[in-house]
Amino acid sequence: MDSKHPAGRLPEPPNPIADDGDEAHFCGTCAFSSACIAAGYNKPELAQLQCLVEHVGPFRAGEHIFRTGDPFRAIFAVRSGTVKTRMVDKEGREQVLGFYLPGEVIGLNAIYPEHFPCDAVALDTSFFCRFSFPAMSALASRIPAVQKHLFRLLSKELGSASLLAGDHSADERMAAFLMDLAGRYAARGFSSTRFHLSMSRGDIANYLRLAAETVSRVLSRFRSQNLIRIEGRELELLNPDALRQLGQALLPD
Amino acid sequence: MDRLVPMATPIEPPDFDPALIARYDVAGPRYTSYPTAPQFKTEFDETVLRGVIRASNEEPIPRPLSLYVHVPFCMSPCFYCGCNRIITRDHSQADRYLERLYREIELIAPLFDRDRPVRQLHFGGGTPNFLDIRQMGELLESLARHFSFSRAADREFGIEIDPRFADGAYVHGLGELGFNRMSVGIQDFDPAVQEAVNRIQSFEQTREVLEAARKSWFRSTSVDLIYGLPLQTVEGFSRTLEQVVSLDPDRVAVYGYAHLPEMFKAQRQIAAADLPDAATRLALFGRAVAQLSAAGYVYVGMDHFAKATDELVLAQRAGTLQRNFQGYSTHGHCDIVGLGVSAIGRIGDSYSQNARDLMGYYGALDAGRLPVARGLELDEDDLIRRELIGELMCHGVVDKQQFGARHRLLFDEYFVRARERLAPLVADGLVEDDAREVRVTSRGRLLLRIIAMCFDAYLDDKAQAARYSRVI
Repeated sequence: MDSKHPAGRLPEPPNPIADDGDEAHFCGTCAFSSACIAAGYNKPELAQLQCLVEHVGPFRAGEHIFRTGDPFRAIFAVRSGTVKTRMVDKEGREQVLGFYLPGEVIGLNAIYPEHFPCDAVALDTSFFCRFSFPAMSALASRIPAVQKHLFRLLSKELGSASLLAGDHSADERMAAFLMDLAGRYAARGFSSTRFHLSMSRGDIANYLRLAAETVSRVLSRFRSQNLIRIEGRELELLNPDALRQLGQALLPD
Repeated sequence: MDRLVPMATPIEPPDFDPALIARYDVAGPRYTSYPTAPQFKTEFDETVLRGVIRASNEEPIPRPLSLYVHVPFCMSPCFYCGCNRIITRDHSQADRYLERLYREIELIAPLFDRDRPVRQLHFGGGTPNFLDIRQMGELLESLARHFSFSRAADREFGIEIDPRFADGAYVHGLGELGFNRMSVGIQDFDPAVQEAVNRIQSFEQTREVLEAARKSWFRSTSVDLIYGLPLQTVEGFSRTLEQVVSLDPDRVAVYGYAHLPEMFKAQRQIAAADLPDAATRLALFGRAVAQLSAAGYVYVGMDHFAKATDELVLAQRAGTLQRNFQGYSTHGHCDIVGLGVSAIGRIGDSYSQNARDLMGYYGALDAGRLPVARGLELDEDDLIRRELIGELMCHGVVDKQQFGARHRLLFDEYFVRARERLAPLVADGLVEDDAREVRVTSRGRLLLRIIAMCFDAYLDDKAQAARYSRVI
C-alpha cells in the first residue's frame, strides 16, 4: 500500500513574506530592517538595546494573539496566516473590525490607550514577529527612519479602506471587499486573483454589516455572472476589472 | 479548481469477457464512500459532528443539503438481504421509531443554517413503505418545518418501495407529498427464485406501483435486480429482464448477490448448494448487459444502467457525475445529513454514522444526544484518493497533469505503489496508464472496483478485505 503521505507532493507555493531571519539577521522582508540597518543598527546592536524581535507562533485557528484589556507591550507583524480583530460588547455581540494578512501589522491601535482595545484571533495557523513596543519607541527616538516607518504604518491603518462608510449595496460592498483583499495580497507578492478565504462567512457578514445569507447570495450571483469562481474557500477572481468597477465607490483610487 | 475534462462516455456496452471477469472475481468495496465504512472511528462523536456542521455553515457559499432517512423495518425477511433492518409486523414499532426520528430532526436541523436548501431527500431501508401515508405525511411535514426545502424544479425526493406492501393509491399519496422518484425492488420474477429467497412478488404488483408513479407526477422510476440468487437460471433471469424492459423504468440497477452467511443471519436460510456457480453468475450478468443494452439502456458503471436521456447519463457525459451512498448521483455537491438508525452522513470533509442498533439509537436520543456512533474526518490523502476513485468510477479517466496541478502533486510519484498494483491490470487491458492519463478501457468497465482498489490506501488490512462482497 502507499504510505499515507508518500513522496510526490509538490512544495507549498513560496510565502513571499520571508522567514529567513535569525538572532543576528533580519528577515529579508522585515518592515523595519532597512530603517535600522541604514542607521547602523543590525540585529545584535538592537538586542543590546533590549529591542527584541521575537518570532512567535504557531497560533491555531480560534486562538487569541491578544485580548481586549491586555496591557500593550508589543505590536505583531503577521508572517503567515490570517487574523481578525474584533470587539465583543456587554451583550456578547461581536463586531469584526478587520482582517490582517501576511506582512500586515496588528496592535497599532493600542499605542495610545496602552492596553489592547480589541481581541486579535487567528483564523488559521498563524506565525508572527513580535516587536516589543517600549523598546521600539526608544529606538524610534534614536533613529528617525524607524519613527518614520512607524508613522507610515499608523497612517496606513487609519486610512485603510472603510467598506462600511456610506449607503452602498451589498454587491458594492462585497466587490470592494474582494478587491481590497486582492490589492493587499498583490502588494505583498501573493497572487491577486487566486486566494484562500480564511474568514468564515459569518465574519465576512459581520465585517460588512450584512446577513450571512446575503454574503452567500451575493457570491452566488458573482459566480453566475462569471465574476468569480469559488470552490469551498478557494476563490478566483475571473473579472477583477468588473469587480473594481462595481466596488469603486468604496475603494481608494 | 477546474473540473477534469471528461471522456466522451462510450454509448456502446462494456466488453463482457467471462474468462477475464472470472479471474478478477475477488472481494472488493463498492466505494460508495472513500475511505469505506470500516475505517470509521468511534472517536468521531457528537462534539466532532457539531464542529463539522458549524464549519460547513461557514463556507462562503455553504453547500445545499441532501437528507437521507432510514426506515429500518420490514414486514418479512428476504433471505439475501445484508441491510440493517428489523423484521416486524407490529406497526406500533413505527410510531416509537418516528418519535425518536422527530427528536433527531429537532436536534440536528437547527445546527444547519436556514439558508441551506434541501435539494435532495431520499428514503431508504429496510422498507420505507412500512410507514403508512399518514406517518409519511407527518414525517415530511416535520422535515419541511425544520429544514428549508428547495422549491427548485430540480429537487429530487426519492423513496425505495417494496411493491408487495404498496398499491397505486399509496404511491399516488406519495406523489402528493412531493416525492418524484421511486426505486422498486424486484430481484427476479422467477417463482422458484422468489420462493428460495422468501420474496413472492408478482409482475402485476410491480407494474401497479410503477404505473401509479408515472400517473402521479414522479419524474423518474428505477428498479433493482439481483443476480447470483439461489436457483436462478439464465433462462429465468432472461425472462425477468424482458419483463423489466416492458415496465420501462428510467434506471435499472443489477446487483451481484454476496453470500456472507457468517455476517448476515438471514442468508443462513439460503442453501449454498442452490447458488449458481461462478460461470452461471457471469452468464446472468452477461444477459443483463446484453438485454438492457439492446433495449437502449446505457451502462453507467458498477451496478447501474439508465436510459440514454436520463440525467445520470447526461451528467456522465458532462463530467459532473458523482459517487455517493445511493451509487451514482447528480447531487454530489450537497452535504448529506443521515437521519435514522445506522444512517450515514457526509458533511464537509467527513463521514458520520448513527448507532446501528435501535437500542443505541434510542438511548442517545432519549438522553438528548445526537445518535452519531462513529465517523471519520478525511485527511488530505483521503481527499485526494476519494476524488481519484470517484473520477475513475464516474468518468473512467483521470488526466494526470490536471489532477496533479489541482492537488499539488506529481501523479506518477505520488501514486507509485498504486501504479505497481495497476500494472497487471494494464497488462490485462482493463486500464491504460500512460504519461498523460489513467483511462479505464471497455474491457475494464465491468471491473471498476478492482481498478479503484489499486488506489485504496487502506487495503493492506487483510481482515478488512474479507468483509467485502465479490466484485462481480
